[in-house]
Amino acid sequence: MSKYKLIILRHGEGSWNKENRFYSWVDQKLNSDGLEEAQNCGKQLKALNFEFDLVFTSVPNRFIHTAWLILEELGQEWMPVESSWHLNEHLYGASIGLNWETMALNHDEEQVRIWRRSYNVTLPPTGESHPYCHEISDSRYKVCGVTLDQLLRSEILKEVLERLLPYWNERIAPEVLKGKIVVISAHGNSSRALLKRLEGISNEDIINITLPTGVPILLELDENLHALGPHQFLGDQEAIRVAIKKVEDQGKVKQVKK
Amino acid sequence: MSKYKLIILRHGEGAWNKENRFCSWVDQKLNSDGLEEAWNCGRQLKALNFEFDLVFTSVLNRSIHTAWLILKEQVPVESSWRLNERHYGALIGLNWEKMALNHGEEQVRVWRRSYNMTPPPTEESHPYYHEIYSDCRYKVCDMALDQLPRSESLKEVLERLLPYWNERIAPEVLKGKTVMLSAHGNSSRALLKHLEGISDEDIINITLPTGVLILLELDKKLRAVGPHQFLGDQKAIRETIKKVDGQVKVKQGKK
Repeated sequence: MSKYKLIILRHGEGSWNKENRFYSWVDQKLNSDGLEEAQNCGKQLKALNFEFDLVFTSVPNRFIHTAWLILEELGQEWMPVESSWHLNEHLYGASIGLNWETMALNHDEEQVRIWRRSYNVTLPPTGESHPYCHEISDSRYKVCGVTLDQLLRSEILKEVLERLLPYWNERIAPEVLKGKIVVISAHGNSSRALLKRLEGISNEDIINITLPTGVPILLELDENLHALGPHQFLGDQEAIRVAIKKVEDQGKVKQVKK
Repeated sequence: MSKYKLIILRHGEGAWNKENRFCSWVDQKLNSDGLEEAWNCGRQLKALNFEFDLVFTSVLNRSIHTAWLILKEQVPVESSWRLNERHYGALIGLNWEKMALNHGEEQVRVWRRSYNMTPPPTEESHPYYHEIYSDCRYKVCDMALDQLPRSESLKEVLERLLPYWNERIAPEVLKGKTVMLSAHGNSSRALLKHLEGISDEDIINITLPTGVLILLELDKKLRAVGPHQFLGDQKAIRETIKKVDGQVKVKQGKK
């Protein structure tokens, strides 16, 4: 029987989502579609009478904005919001800023799918000469004790989970165990890493898990914080299927009409 | 000698400010002027190179939105009912000008600005009672719902604000953190009274304009080293203060 509920939310769209570029820790703002998605998410949670107690987000602005927009829709701007780099997106190394479609042309679609979704496969690391190096080596990460070397590397999903888990165990799980209903506003890969852990998804199956942007994901947990069943997307299921396909298709080469 | 700096801000205008109504704990949004005031504060802080470590707000959305508009998103925001605007009890929603016609300008000025006067409490039959007390934000406070104020004098505002200042805000200031309070007219006045040592009689003459940054410099014991200062165009600020003071005056019909 479900003892606890957790909501995970992948942030709304920024302009790089539209351009199919690897965001990683680059601090892109929400675009108008992303704003609308976040607001719709809030409306949906309101319609479901979802009340929660606490929001955790990662550090880039778009995640915090998503949380604020949702709270505004719910009329609950007073709710505590805590942000941590532990919930940040997957570090994509040298691939930050690149376009998945171009990479699919150069390396084929299946290779891009593996890079995007696999558990163990590493992308090349970046260096100080990378165009986005200075943007991600921001002062906010200095105060968290994240070194430049750590910021420049690329992570596999396994490593995302390894740096997320202590934060889950020390900050988030205790709140859930107190009976608080928690929302985690994060990114596709940091969310996938957490779902893998809580649902016990295998290294092979995780590659097939895609999370659409701006759709609340409900996970029901038992007394040991293990998932009681697969995660559920809340909202119009047909629209959600379309949104998932849209995310999956970002790594495909567009076919030119004859 | 000044050791710490504290920034206090009365949130920008909401619809009821313009309509001269006691807004108090009713959760009115900022209007377009209020949004503009917040953005201007943000620009001003950027020009002054002010970077905050922490911001405290009330649980009313107009104070939170003001903070969101002004600050970088990564600055932690903590909200507490203890920074809420003064609870005006049965006067909530009433228009000052009409009240001045019925009770006289001086009486209304005393209700708004005095230290010890508590308005009549709000009752269940009050049009805004349920809107306020059925909201979940008041079910998760550090005080039981039935113990929360139903009306307050400025003195009572300070009494519920001080524990929060002492236990949450002051320790952060003493650690050297740059702190901003995004609050309300009366909760800000109450705190300034305490930190500056303003008398019960003099506080009635202190008016805080909306959307203007207030700097208070504090010594090592967190006492003010001088009066609070408004940051920005001083002439424009004097006009705004006059406007806030003038809200209670009965408009004279043209002859």
